[in-house]
Amino acid sequence: MPSTPHVVVIGGGSTGAGIARDLSMRGVEVTLLEQGNLTHGTTGRMHGLLHSGGRYAVADQASAEECIEENRVLRDIASHCVEMTGGLFVKRPEDSEEYFQEKLAGCRECGIPAEVISAEEARSMEPHLAADIEKAITVPDGAVDPFRLVVANAASAQEHGARIETHSTVTDLLVEDEEVVGVEVEHASGPGKRVHGTEGGREEIRADYVVNATGAWAGRIGEMAGVDIEVRPSKGVMTIMNVRQVDTVINRCKPKGDADIVVPHETTAILGTTDEEVDDPEDYPEEQWEVDMMIDTLKELVPMLEKARTIRSFWGVRPLYEPPDVGSEDPTDITRDYFLLDHAERDGLDGMTSIVGGKFTTYRMMGEEISDHVCEKFGIDADCRTDEVPLPGSEEFSVLRDYMDEFGLRSPIGRRSVERLGSRAEEVLDTDEPNPVVCGCEGVTRAEVQDAIEGAGSDLNAVRIRTRASMGNCQGGFCCHRLANELSREYDEVTTRAAWDELLQERWKGQRHALWGEQLSQAMLNYAMQAATQNRDSDPADGDDIEFAAFDGGREAPDPSADEAGVATDGGEDGH
Amino acid sequence: MSDADSPPTDAPSDDSFEPVEPNTGEEFEPVDVFPDSEDFDLRPGADSCYKCSTCDTNCPVAEVDDEFPGPKFQGPEQWRLKQTDDDHTVDDSIMDCSNCMRCDNACPSGVPLSQMHNTARGEYVSQEMSKTSVEYWRNRILSNYRTSAWLASKLPRVANFAMNFGPARWLMEKTMGVTKEREFPEFARQTFREWWASEGGAAGSRERARERRERRGDPVDADKKIAYFHGCYSNYNTPEVAKALVRVYEHFGYEIVVPDQKCSGTPMFANGMLADARRHAEVNISSMADLIEEGYDAIASCTSCSMALRQEYPELFDIEGVDDVAAHTFESVEYLRIHEDLKGAVQAAEIDDDLAEEFAYHAPCHARNQGLDRQAVELFGDLDGVGIEDVGDSCSGISGTYGWKAEKYEKSMQIGEEMFEHMEAADGEVGMTECPTCAMQMEHGTGYEIRHPMELLEAALVD
Repeated sequence: MPSTPHVVVIGGGSTGAGIARDLSMRGVEVTLLEQGNLTHGTTGRMHGLLHSGGRYAVADQASAEECIEENRVLRDIASHCVEMTGGLFVKRPEDSEEYFQEKLAGCRECGIPAEVISAEEARSMEPHLAADIEKAITVPDGAVDPFRLVVANAASAQEHGARIETHSTVTDLLVEDEEVVGVEVEHASGPGKRVHGTEGGREEIRADYVVNATGAWAGRIGEMAGVDIEVRPSKGVMTIMNVRQVDTVINRCKPKGDADIVVPHETTAILGTTDEEVDDPEDYPEEQWEVDMMIDTLKELVPMLEKARTIRSFWGVRPLYEPPDVGSEDPTDITRDYFLLDHAERDGLDGMTSIVGGKFTTYRMMGEEISDHVCEKFGIDADCRTDEVPLPGSEEFSVLRDYMDEFGLRSPIGRRSVERLGSRAEEVLDTDEPNPVVCGCEGVTRAEVQDAIEGAGSDLNAVRIRTRASMGNCQGGFCCHRLANELSREYDEVTTRAAWDELLQERWKGQRHALWGEQLSQAMLNYAMQAATQNRDSDPADGDDIEFAAFDGGREAPDPSADEAGVATDGGEDGH
Repeated sequence: MSDADSPPTDAPSDDSFEPVEPNTGEEFEPVDVFPDSEDFDLRPGADSCYKCSTCDTNCPVAEVDDEFPGPKFQGPEQWRLKQTDDDHTVDDSIMDCSNCMRCDNACPSGVPLSQMHNTARGEYVSQEMSKTSVEYWRNRILSNYRTSAWLASKLPRVANFAMNFGPARWLMEKTMGVTKEREFPEFARQTFREWWASEGGAAGSRERARERRERRGDPVDADKKIAYFHGCYSNYNTPEVAKALVRVYEHFGYEIVVPDQKCSGTPMFANGMLADARRHAEVNISSMADLIEEGYDAIASCTSCSMALRQEYPELFDIEGVDDVAAHTFESVEYLRIHEDLKGAVQAAEIDDDLAEEFAYHAPCHARNQGLDRQAVELFGDLDGVGIEDVGDSCSGISGTYGWKAEKYEKSMQIGEEMFEHMEAADGEVGMTECPTCAMQMEHGTGYEIRHPMELLEAALVD
């Protein structure tokens, strides 16, 4: 092939970002298109488990083997996104012994290091486990931050020349002579990073190849070119606890069932989940009983969950896929494996492949396989290196340092910042400017926020997923306005307000299904403060600009005939 | 009611407003993460925090020390950000907290702030502070005041001279970081315990109590008995307070025992010396628990001592009997107000000796936390011959050992400024407080003589 092919990747989740990185590292010209923020779809709505494969070791061994392989790779190349917490499969008295043995054997068959420990040992690791558990199996489960991982993949792709467009919705596929030759995109703002208020518009992007990595949305993209992709989206609820009740991933050792996992995630613990098929990945019921049921069930493993503070609940949609001839009734039976659908072979439509199914833990492997596939089409002879080249931020770094000496930060704040920034810590935190803490719950400083703004434009939700600012127990009650203030250093009032509104709406949205007890009190306090001190009690939906003049018209132009300076309406002295 | 009964603790009826009970630790059970250590996982305590920052605005140290991040950071925020892995460090600003515990009282929502601070401080000292540093040894010596006081009591005259001898104090500041600005408290020539033995100890008390009951017309075998936790200060420095307590309680027909005891641990908590504190607590709990089982209640005349037995012990130590001791410990005036008609007795009395004064009363922070901050003013307001004025709700600033540290001295005096001003503005030139170190600070800042409520009760009630 004489010239470099241009590949459009649709979908800015883990899979799409992984593909974009892989292809661009092999010298392919890539454009990544995402309708929302990076991780907007399923990736941003997962429970943060880095699978050891143990969960699939009995029923879905192919997935289990992929998981343990990728688990090892990600610990290495994405070290700043991964926390190796270890995991337990815990057996309660009423759980089947036979299944426990199957699980243990399955793990060993799949090459997953697994050991049986007594209840006493398990409880000395995790003192909040129920007193009546019988025993447990240890596996190398971990916790992973999907936001950082995807942002790092996208940043790496960008370093290798890729174009990353967020808030850019694909509205149509361009098909000529039974071949996909590009996409039509609606940009919400101008090209490049998002800036509110800048003019967006429609763009036709010609491509030599299109990869559809839109997960649960794959069917929708397929329709645009008249091909049928039978993704079976399945929703699952997750609830975020205010603090970590456990520091190890806790799985219930049962064949299948809802509400069987607790994942320690950063400062929090995430409870998961349910598995229920839905028709539309964007419009499905989110119901209180799902949350209640989950807490009720998981308290059998960790009793203190019953009384512990929840801060949010959210639902994610798994992009499950199974070949049409399998026909599983129950979504829990659908394989977690991924499928590469070359539409040329499958539907006689050239120029596009879809990747469906699969899971977050195997995102890189999926990226590798589809990149191989694309490279083969174009005769590009380049090896995949995503399994050995660390992501930006995951080059060598240490969390053991003197944070006060190096960055002027108190130790837990410094430590959390470095855990998030990894090898980028010096670059971001070493500043001569004042560096106050902006988000106290998560320990996020101005320097980190400013770095995120640099990468994300005027989008405070994008700043949030990069830094965790506003993701702690007050859910932004005490920092959303500070984040807006940080934004206002570079952007004007209208832009800042739009971004601030979006952030507040997003923060409120996830609290709806966790509003009782302490979090309800928190919400009331947040509401009162935001209403009384930030003029937030007007209807947020009306979208009108605030008429500042109605409050304070500012100083009139000085009257040259007046002898003495007056007093400005803000009480300040006029004129000097 | 029988005197051995506990004070009424009935829950309010269903229709009454029931505010969040602060710091009971009942909302969650902190678990012993490592059975052999004193580390508790307090992260769940952060569930109660709404970030309102009332604790920060009530923190006297944060008010004068801009470098100090305040109780919200050191409590719920630090615990929530904390990891349980071994190499997680506690921020060194924990050593700037004075352990006044006002944050506990300020919190509208029951965050176990002082428990979080004490535990983090213990972790910091045991894992991060150099055991060969001057700071460590200075703090260790200050917090083991009982040991120094015991030594000094052997030769009180020499000690009194040496401890306030200018060049020696200059040297102590230079080498140990103990401020030379303060006057060391004088050591009594006879400790309270020596006096107590000379008075016949428990047997003597029993006899006197029975005599007194007879005169009062109480049943001679009335079940009125207390175990006195005198603390170090009223043993070595102000035995007059302890003696007053003995006379007042015997006046009401109580028989007193003075069991073996060590330091309450208050200065050790404040310096993160939890192993020392635990050693002392074990002795105290063991002797008090046995007596409580026999029907005694534990009475302290120092509000920090009663605070330690009531709140800090159960929050920090998992020692057999700790909860019983906590439930049966009372401050000395509080207990009499519950069980006797103290108000009536005081109203019927009159002071015409050298205590006929106008008192400037300061409520210690630790008294405030036990709900005792108005008791002296309420009580003595009705006493003929004296006046009493509350000098406000500020912290005295000394917080035990805090104000003795050279680097903290100025801040300690800045915190105390408000109290000094209010004392100066009050009528009279005698101060009153329940806390020995608050008394030191009050005297240091105003030159006033400072008395304990027990002394005034003795003057009013005991012939």
